[in-house]
Amino acid sequence: MATKYVGNRVKRTEDPRLIQGLGHYVDDIKLPDTLHVAFVRSIYGHARITGVDASAAAKAPGVVAVYTGKDIGKIGGVPCASDLPEMKKPEFLVLASNKALFVGHAIAAVVATDRYLAKDAADMIQVDYEELPAVTEEVKAAAGAPYVHEQFGTNIAYKLTAGEGDIAAAFRSSDKVIKQRILNQRLAPIAMEPRGVLARYYPGEQELTLWSSTQIPHLMRTQVALMLGMPENRLRVITPEVGGGFGSKLNVYAEEALLGWISMQLGQPVKWIESRRENFQSTIHGRAQLGDLEIGIRKDGTVTGLRYNVFADMGAYYQLLTPAIPTLTGLMLSGSYKIPAIQINVTAVFTNKMSTDAYRGAGRPEATYVVERAMDLVAAELGMDPVEVRRKNFPAPNEFPFKTATGLFYDSGDYVLALEKALKNADYKKLGEEQKKARAAGRLVGIGVSTYVEICALGPSAALPAGGWESATVRIEPTGTVTVLTGASPHGQGQETSFAQIAGDELGVSIEAVTVIHGDTSIVQYGIGTFGSRATAVGGTAVFVALQRLKEKASKLAAHLMGVDPATVKFADGRFTSGAKSMAIQEVALHAHLAKSLPEGMEPGLSATYFFEPKNFTFPFGTHICIAEVDKDTGEITLQRYIAVDDCGRVINPLLVDGQVQGGIVQALGQAFYEHVVYDENGQLLTGTLMDYALPRATNCPWMELDRTETPSPVNPLGVKGVGEAGTIGATPCLVNAVIDALAPLGVRHLDMPLKPETLWRIISGNSARSA
Amino acid sequence: MRLEGTHELHAPRDKVFAALTDPQVLARCIPGCESLEKQAGDVYTAKLSAGVGAIKGVFQATVRMADMRPPEHYRLIVEGKGQPGFLKGSGDMDLTEKDGITSIHYVGEASVGGLLASVGQRMVESAAKMLAGKFFSALEAEAQK
Repeated sequence: MATKYVGNRVKRTEDPRLIQGLGHYVDDIKLPDTLHVAFVRSIYGHARITGVDASAAAKAPGVVAVYTGKDIGKIGGVPCASDLPEMKKPEFLVLASNKALFVGHAIAAVVATDRYLAKDAADMIQVDYEELPAVTEEVKAAAGAPYVHEQFGTNIAYKLTAGEGDIAAAFRSSDKVIKQRILNQRLAPIAMEPRGVLARYYPGEQELTLWSSTQIPHLMRTQVALMLGMPENRLRVITPEVGGGFGSKLNVYAEEALLGWISMQLGQPVKWIESRRENFQSTIHGRAQLGDLEIGIRKDGTVTGLRYNVFADMGAYYQLLTPAIPTLTGLMLSGSYKIPAIQINVTAVFTNKMSTDAYRGAGRPEATYVVERAMDLVAAELGMDPVEVRRKNFPAPNEFPFKTATGLFYDSGDYVLALEKALKNADYKKLGEEQKKARAAGRLVGIGVSTYVEICALGPSAALPAGGWESATVRIEPTGTVTVLTGASPHGQGQETSFAQIAGDELGVSIEAVTVIHGDTSIVQYGIGTFGSRATAVGGTAVFVALQRLKEKASKLAAHLMGVDPATVKFADGRFTSGAKSMAIQEVALHAHLAKSLPEGMEPGLSATYFFEPKNFTFPFGTHICIAEVDKDTGEITLQRYIAVDDCGRVINPLLVDGQVQGGIVQALGQAFYEHVVYDENGQLLTGTLMDYALPRATNCPWMELDRTETPSPVNPLGVKGVGEAGTIGATPCLVNAVIDALAPLGVRHLDMPLKPETLWRIISGNSARSA
Repeated sequence: MRLEGTHELHAPRDKVFAALTDPQVLARCIPGCESLEKQAGDVYTAKLSAGVGAIKGVFQATVRMADMRPPEHYRLIVEGKGQPGFLKGSGDMDLTEKDGITSIHYVGEASVGGLLASVGQRMVESAAKMLAGKFFSALEAEAQK
């Protein structure tokens, strides 16, 4: 069937309301009699709390209640869904009572009639601290005392070894083993809209409703019900517009349960909107891995084995998926290459910092960065073209599904195809010549390449802590409009548009006739949520299959209504046809609801629900190439060109895919050149504002020359792979490789991110001093 | 954070040292000092109004003097706590005199926390230097009295 919508650049139906300021975020939901919550948070990285005096705050104007760690005994700890062998499990209570373990650790909550009075009263609370030595550095943390959690007698949260193949033998048989220490620095996800919660409890109905800026409304409902010890069917989670998540809202936070509990205590709605400073302190961070890479090679550039011994900084506690992130790094260490032996040794440590967790890419950007830096180190070692090293180690298209030494089966791929397209788009040969000329003229110009693969469409339930499926219900209402309920909870990715495209094509209706509903646990059937580039590949497939089921029923009913043999009925362009007889699907829908003439045994109504469980992950891939020039006098980096060829399987909406890739590349730019969450040796957060934490701005962004190859995934009937994180994963090493290549004539072989102008300037000026 | 500096005061060392350890003089010289009271021994409690840029507030501080070797050396230990966070530090003060000019060399470590750290950290060091400058100029005037 020809598609009218799928595959086309359909404009986002979400945007008119968003760009006119007509969307509703949590803070836009106004309920009468709402009280406001402000938190007192630890100003120490590690301290014993010897006293909390809230007497002045309790008497302050507008204050309704003050709660401290002593009051919240019945609320369960912040949940962690992942479990690993012999993992230490600290209990993360929603308010600290004895010890504060990181700057930003909530100690008291003040409830007042407006948010400013709440803030003022919070300032009146006197917390007495006895400062304790802070644990801030991963390697030292692993070595011994002081401890973040005294009761464990160690800061090691867990140790994990994974991978297949005889790594020792691989290294023995290598001509050379290259070693490099590599840092994936701690980052802050920085969604434009910080977190926010509004809680309303109706004591009569015993019903609690939470509005929260989250990526996972259903999982939150389950977890908060458990934390509060209330029946899950009395709890409703509503996710209005979400102004960015990037993994930071793939979580269940202390504030979500606490606000619900406070509303239950007071019988009034309570609201908390996170400030940017709180966002830096107490919303999860990402990355924070420091590792030692070893890669074995033969003289011809063939990789024989790869080992990565990595310290992963958990922070003080686990949030929902904290311990799982390094395991994803381990899974992706084969990159897009055939590496016969791979081993990862993870030492996960507690530190006096905010928890790390999933941030755009979640473990995979870390792995890809390591592997793609490794490829350039190999090229530099052997004097080979980085492209040739990569090409040499690719699996061939006929080797798919390709099994890696990390235990994965890559679903489909044609890595050479994407590489060749990128080389052609970049005019790689010419780039090399231009670089030679520029170098001869004394300019520092570098070419960066990365050929990435990533793991998406999470995923089979066996591989996820809480179900890897996704759900959809599709209905045609009596008047003929189409309703799609998705269990995925899109928050900016554009599935209101792309799912309507799928429904529009499958039902032969206009997308204006389709409404996609999500993010309300009382309206939408249980779902998992949006993360791990899964919403379209898993959630979209659920929509697609549900639509097929709906059409099957409608077709039978149409045959019955037209009085023809069901086998003769064909469906096209929204009409069921048999010979000269024909009926619009909307008419069939009306008859399904009127139910005056239904085939024997057919239920009234026209809806179908499907829960799709994928058999495997999907593995998108691509090649990114960029050209960077470093200013010799200032160390400033200019990106002259950025070329990306991404393969995310079949594309539903190229406009949305471009947007995801562009946003992803910009976040990679952040990690590569600007961002770093810095704590000092006392656990003080030094990058606590957007004045101190550098984010990429519009003027820092290169023009992105985007292109695609399309290798359909065999994992789902749509052939879709996923693209939410690809840009970040592919671009980070590409950007760094370009800058390091630019500085290669100065003898630079590796630098840690972020590549600040100061760092580069020191290298350049130091070198010119030596050569002068 | 390491703080180090030298200030030259046009006053004899004995008078400078005496001024440095006189609570009333200190109260007049410390920028933003609202009160300073001597407790037991060489311990003083002070109420200081201080800030960095937009981050201002009142600090309750304890100031302790140790290793007293008049008129050439003492160690200063300060701990302060207030709404904008906390500050603490300690440093050695060495006084030398040449041609009627007293040089005070200070070297110490300071740390800040809370709002001061997360917002003002980058400016704390220069603010501290500026405050030290103000303090020593005022002290010089006192010692010349």
